[in-house]
Parts: sequence; C-alpha cells; structure tokens
Amino acid sequence: MSRIRAPQEAAAGLFLIALALFTFWQTSDLAIGTMRALGPGMMPKVLGSLCGICGIALIGFSLIKDGAALERWSIRGPLFILGAAIVFGLAIRPLGLFVAGPACVILGSLAARDSRLIESAIFGVAMTLFCWLLFKVLLTLPIPVAPWLLGY
Amino acid sequence: MKRTFAAFALAAATVVAASSASAQNYPTRPITMVVPFAAGGPTDVIARIVGEHMSKTLGQQIVIENVAGAGGTTGTTRAAHAAPDGYTIMMGHMGTHGAAPALYPKLRYDPAKDFAPIGMAAGTPILIVARKDYPAKNLQEFVARLKTEQDKANEAHAGVGSVSFTTCTMFNVMNGIKPTRVPYTGTGPVINDMIGGKVDYACDQIVNLVTQIQGGNIKAYAIATPERSPALPDVPTTKEAGLPNYQVSAWNAVFAPKGTPQAIVDKLNDALVKALDDAGTKKRLLDLGGVLPTGEERTSAWLGQYVQQEVARWTPILKAGGITAE
Amino acid sequence: MDSFLGNLELGFTVALSLQNVALCFAGCLIGTLVGILPGVGPIATIAILLPLTFQVDPTGALIMLAGIYYGAQYGGSTTAILVNIPGEATSVVTTLDGHQMARQGRAGIALGIAAIGSFFAGTVATLVIAALGAPLTKLALIFGPAEYFSLMVLGLAFAVVLARGSILKAGAVIFVGLLLSTVGTDLQTGDERLTLGLIDLMDGIDFAVLAMGLFGFAEILRNLDNPETRDVVQAKIGRLLPGKEEFKQSYKPVLRGTILGGILGILPGNGAVLGPFASYTLEKKLAKDPSRFGKGAIEGVAGPESANNAGAQTAFIPLLTLGIPPNAVMALMVGAMTIHGIIPGPQVMTKTPDLFWGMIASMWLGNLMLLIINLPLIGVWVRLLKVPYRLMFPAILLFCCIGIYSINNHAGDVLLTAFFGFAGYAFYKFGFEPAPLLLGFVLGKLMEEKLRQALILSRGDFATFVTSPVSAGLLLVAFVVIVIAVLPSVRRGREEAFQE
Repeated sequence: MSRIRAPQEAAAGLFLIALALFTFWQTSDLAIGTMRALGPGMMPKVLGSLCGICGIALIGFSLIKDGAALERWSIRGPLFILGAAIVFGLAIRPLGLFVAGPACVILGSLAARDSRLIESAIFGVAMTLFCWLLFKVLLTLPIPVAPWLLGY
Repeated sequence: MKRTFAAFALAAATVVAASSASAQNYPTRPITMVVPFAAGGPTDVIARIVGEHMSKTLGQQIVIENVAGAGGTTGTTRAAHAAPDGYTIMMGHMGTHGAAPALYPKLRYDPAKDFAPIGMAAGTPILIVARKDYPAKNLQEFVARLKTEQDKANEAHAGVGSVSFTTCTMFNVMNGIKPTRVPYTGTGPVINDMIGGKVDYACDQIVNLVTQIQGGNIKAYAIATPERSPALPDVPTTKEAGLPNYQVSAWNAVFAPKGTPQAIVDKLNDALVKALDDAGTKKRLLDLGGVLPTGEERTSAWLGQYVQQEVARWTPILKAGGITAE
Repeated sequence: MDSFLGNLELGFTVALSLQNVALCFAGCLIGTLVGILPGVGPIATIAILLPLTFQVDPTGALIMLAGIYYGAQYGGSTTAILVNIPGEATSVVTTLDGHQMARQGRAGIALGIAAIGSFFAGTVATLVIAALGAPLTKLALIFGPAEYFSLMVLGLAFAVVLARGSILKAGAVIFVGLLLSTVGTDLQTGDERLTLGLIDLMDGIDFAVLAMGLFGFAEILRNLDNPETRDVVQAKIGRLLPGKEEFKQSYKPVLRGTILGGILGILPGNGAVLGPFASYTLEKKLAKDPSRFGKGAIEGVAGPESANNAGAQTAFIPLLTLGIPPNAVMALMVGAMTIHGIIPGPQVMTKTPDLFWGMIASMWLGNLMLLIINLPLIGVWVRLLKVPYRLMFPAILLFCCIGIYSINNHAGDVLLTAFFGFAGYAFYKFGFEPAPLLLGFVLGKLMEEKLRQALILSRGDFATFVTSPVSAGLLLVAFVVIVIAVLPSVRRGREEAFQE
C-alpha cells in the first residue's frame, strides 16, 4: 500500500477504468460504422477508451507522485439525503405532494446530526404547504397533490 | 380537534364520492391533456388552441402536460395506462398512433386497442421542400434528378421517428430513390441548413415551413393534400404535379384510455367539435396551415377506423425503408 | 427601410404603453421568483406560464414571455451564487467564483455585479440587435455542421481551462461528460445506447437532472461531511452592493463578456451556452493572478454574467429575423407566437413592425426592470443565507425534487437525480470537479451530431474540417488555448520532479 503515493488519484483512476470497461460491455452490440457514416457505437467506444487511458495515466502518476489521501465516505449523509429523494420519487405519483413532501423533508433532515425530529416535522409540513401554494395554486403545475384523498 | 378532523374527512369523502359518481356530472375537476412532445411544437400548439376552447364548453380547465420522449411514445404510453375516468386524455398524432408500431418493436401500447378515440383535431399537410437553388423547376424534374443522383443527394430529417423522417421514407420508397439521409435534432436545424444550402431536400409539416417559403428562403415543390393550401396558394398539389399517390398529412387527434365511459367520450367529442366550429379557434388553426376535419371525419368512430388504416399503411412502408428504431 | 432611430422610437412607443410596461414588470418578477427555484429553469417556467398570456394581445404576450425568460435567467444565476446550484447550462460558470464569493460573505457584491453587468450587456445587445439584426443573421448561416463541430471543440478547450486542479483529471471528467451525453437513442439508427433498458434513459439524461444531482445533492452531502464549513456564510456579511473597487475590477470583464456572449448568442443551436465559458477562460488568462479564479474572483462573475445576458438577447435575432429558434426556450417562444397567430419568419420584421421593434425596445426595458427588482431583493437573499443549515438543506432538497419532477412529470427523473447525487459525492471523494463534466455533457450531444452530419455530407472526408476557413480557424484557436492551459502544469511538473 505504501507504493501508492497518491491514493486519491489511484482511486480516481480505477473508477475511470471501471467506467471504460462498463461502456465497452454495454455497447458491444453497437456498430462502429465507417468514416462516411459513423455508427452509434463510435462515440461511446472512443470516449470510453479515452476515459480508460486517463485512468491508466492517473494510476501511473499515483505511483510516482505524492497526492491526497482518500477521505472517509460517510454513510449517514448519502443514506438519508438520497433516500429522501428516492422516497419522494416513489411517492409523488401514487401518494401526492402532501405525503411525499413532509416525508422528503423529515427523512432528509435526519442526515444532519443536529436535527430535531419535531422541528423537522413541523418544518416539513410548513414547506409542503408553501410548495403547494406556490407550485400548484399559483403556477398551476400538474403535480399530484393527494390522489388517494382528493383524486388529483 | 377530533371533530374538525372528522368533519374534514367527511367532506373529503363526499367530494371523492361525488366526483367519481356519474358521467352526468363530468367534468368536476380539471382535465389533463397529455402532449407527448415538447412545448412549442406543432402538436403542442394545436393542443393548446383546441384545449382552450374545450375548457370553455366543458366548464373545467384543460391542463396541458408535456411528456416528451422517444418520438412521442413515452407520453403516449403514460396516457394509455392512465385511469379511464375521462380526466386524462391525450393529443396523439400520425407518428404516435400510426407509424410507432413499425418504428418501435418494443412498443408498450397498441394504438388501436389501448385507446378510446375521441376525435380528429387538425392535420398539418406535408410539403416537399428543397433548397432554393436546387436545379429542378417542378416536382417531375425534381424526382427525375433525384433518381439519377441517388446517394449524392442529401435529404435532411429531424431524427428517426419524426414526421419528417416517416413521410420522407414514404416519398423515397415510392419513387425508388435512395438519398443520403442526414439526421438532425428537430426541425429548426433542418431549416437552418437548408436555407444555408448545405442539404438538398426534406419533407415536413407546413407549420414549420410556411414563412420560409413565403420569404423565398426555400422552395416548395408540392403539397401532399387533395387541395392547395390557402396559406401557400402557389404550391401545386401532388396530384397536380404528377405524384397523386403521395397523400400525407401529419394528423393530430384526441384520445382517451380504453374503457373510458361512452358518455364521457361523447362529451369530449362534442367539446372538440364545438372548438373546431368556433370562428376564432378555426382561424388560428387555419393560419397555421392546418386542415380541419369535415363531416364524418369528426366522429370518434371514424377516428377509430382511421387509426387502424394508418397503422396498416405505415408498417409496410417503413419496413421497406429498412429502418426500425429500437 | 426606416431609420434606426425611427424604428427605436416606434419600439419604445409600443413598449412604454401602460399595459406593456405592466406586463414586462409582471413577467420579470414572476420569472425571477420561479427561476430562483432550483430545477425550474426558463423552459419549464415559460411552459407553465404560457396560458396566462392568452388573455393578452400578441405583442403584450411576447413582452411578458420575454420578461419571464430574462427573469428566469437571472434567477438561475442567483441560485448559482447563493447555493451553488446552476439553474441551467449558462449559470454553471457562475457557481465557480460566485458561490465562493457568497461563502466569503460577499454574496451581495456577487449578486450586484451580476445584475449590473447583465444590465449593461443587455443594453448593448439591444442596440446591436436594433442596428444590425438582419445582417447578423447571415453570420448564422455560414455555420454548417463542420464549423459547428470546430466551435464545440473550442468549447471543450475552454472547459479544460476552467479546471481548478489537475488538468489530467479535468480532461478525464470532460470525457465522462461527453460519454454521458451519448446515453439515449441514437439519432441516425434509433438504437438505444447505454440506456440499460430503462425507459427513463431512452431520451438521454436531462441537463437539470445531471446538474441537480452533481451540484445540488452532492453539495448538500459535501456540506454535511464538513460541519465546520457548512454554513454558507461564515464571514460576517459585508457590504450589500459592489463598491468603487469592485467596479474598477469588473468593467473590463463586463465589456469583454458582452462582446463574446453577444457574438456567440447569434449562432443557432445553443451557441449562447459557450458565452460564459469563453468569457471565464479569457478573464482567467488575462488576469494578473490567475490563481484567484475559483476562489472568489469577481471577474469570474462579472464577465460570464454579462456574456450570459448578451447571449440571451442576441439569441432572439435568429428567431425574429429568420423564424428559426436557436434553442429550446426560443422554440417555446415560437410556439407562443404561433398560438397567438403570429407565424415567426422573415416577414415578421416587415409585416408587423410594431411587434418586432416593440419587442426589442421592451427587451431593454426588461433589463432595466430586472435591475430595479433584483437589487433590493439582494438584501432578502443574503438574510436568507443565515438560516441554519439543518433547516435549509431539507428545504433545498424538497425544492430540487419538485423542480425535477415538474420538468417532465416523470417520477423516474427524481430517482435518476438521486443516482447522480451519489455519483457527485463519489466524484468529490475522487477529486473530480463537476463543472467541466457538465460542460462536456452540454457540448457532447451537439458535437456528435455535427460530427456525424459533417462526415455524412463530406462522404467520410475529414479534410472538411480544415478546408472551411471558419472551421480551420476555430480549431487553431482551440489548439492554442489547450497548449496555453497545459504548459504551466507541464512546467510545474518538471520543477517538482526536479526537486524530488
């Protein structure tokens, strides 16, 4: 491990190589085409290769130059923030804004250590009402509000 | 607190019960019209013009919801699977309900079976246009020249699945021409490069082209309808110009999901017909170069069988053109 | 043809009618308020508010829509500065230095210079349109696929310069952005590329989804990881408006940005997007101390914002003179005009001169209104920044989700944004910057389309890119820009290696 003098660069490089391989796998059935008529596979494969080359270069540099260390990845943040967004996405059409809104706010607020549940709940309801007024009433956007209760 | 909540729940329940009750009261809340294309395009414009008047007849606002994607099939799929209660309808067109089955093998809806047809709204005639200094004086010369040039000629279209693509496929197959097809994203760039003289010809809806032709930036060889358009009186019809079999118009029509009660379908059809009869609405549609349906063409039944006809028409043509989208 | 002054006089008579002034004001106000919401950019705003304009006559409707457009543009810049979320492609550059300025307590100055620079740019652009509108369209027609491709390559060169850190990583991340732009249905064959069979990806990735995820969500995640620096404003809030010192630093970037943005905006096909990037690159290269860029250099806001606004105005030229919308927003305007019975095209100028000149005059009016509306609002926004982060970030989260959903009424878009939020977080851990990726993404689609078209038209001959003088010239400039960008790093690398 001590041979890698720039762990962040190495990780970045690995990511790029993985992306390149993924691209090649997904586009294996697309034609490259000819110079007269570039096929659908040409750009992705060329770009995938370029990413892969950059990845190799990064790993190369990480062995000979000092660089930043890899930071720790937190679990709490991504889990609750992204979870909140996912919950919103899944809930908005069947359950509407009145459910998805507070859920998003409350769930999202759990990502911060200093959030308080009651405060977030009240804030969530308040924010949802504000959004309803702004988006639904004022701007007449077709956002589902509460299909299970009001039918729209 | 409990009492207020109970009262609220009761009121809400009543509202729900009432609104889902009978078609007699339809509509009791706003109706969503799905337009499977981006706002501002021909189908969207027609939907908004027609929808505005229909709102007045029905007494409830028709809200346009743009769900663009995959040549219009994304929005159409969404509308096909919506609840058949008359509160979700859509504006489909020749592409989504005619050509789509041939272009998209994995299509998730059947234009004939998954929809209850409401009525035809307006058609936009197709024009055969070319860059202004293309060396041919009329349609006959044009086709003859294309036959000799074959793949030296450059035909522009707005992407696989677009109206300009499908209608020109038909034109090419019909005349035995195999030009080099240059794809663009949308009609704007097509027109731009045609004015700039970089591509040779295209087949597109009159709406997009009328001012360019009037301004002399591009030239039109023919219009693919039985009669000349009042917006472009100097452009001969394909019948007059020697290609009578090329009759295409990018029709736009209103659909509801299959299973929508007949009473609601009739109400919507009635509102649509009233919109088409209204002087103001009519004028706006005609100014666009639109062609309005007459007599029997305005009924739901006619639309139903027209859809089946169109699907049957486009499938062999597009297969002959050798292109399917996946 | 009437005189230049005569036309302007006609225009102002139309624009200054009580009704039209009111509509202009209403449009700007609503546009700004809605544009500030992350995710709801000008396109969504105009689409939403279109029905409101039906009650009015066509000229009035267009004036209002134009007001909404500028308002939404400026609102997008406001979000970029305050919370590091670009409202649309043109505000990405503003996030680089604008947000850093906000963190240093200079949000008011950033917002102020953006507003003032935009007003200046708008004024100049309006005069240019009035005087040279018709001849300038010829410029747009010179650009065919080959020229466009070279322009995009130049844009990518700018993206490299944009990078704050390692050039290699910037290049890599640009390639990733280009790669992401290929996701979707192939233009020519209809094949699905990299869509993983998901219906939501069939039309490619929406810019807002990518921007919201990589900037918005990832930024929140980043802030949560660093509780010490997460409060947006750490220093005391300083002066609210730019002072003499800031004006001195900014006036030249504003001038340069106006020219760059104005020229690029005329080119159909979203040339306007390049304006801010070109301006930023130019300012960074011309500055005495380029290392200030990315850390809150006011030139990095003044130039791009002016370019932004100049481009937004000149983008109307192809629309008003040729009837060809240069981008999606203008396409909406075309739709709006059509609904009102005006078919845009070469004759709009001659057949309905009061519409044409009235619109141009009200463009300037709109710029003035934006200044009047926004300068007082700066105080409000800056106070808003003091809201405790634990309440602010869930609110931002909710706004982003609603905004994303309302673009296409697609729940799947929200899920996709969450994915990119995670990707953005990963990028941050790997040391990648999101801004060049976004630029690569925006340019990628157009670049590939133009490349393929050019090769089809030239029947496979690559010489087409050098035989055209415009194209060759652009490629040359791109090459020079990249060399200038790479040279310092190479020199530094040699020095470091030497010191080892």
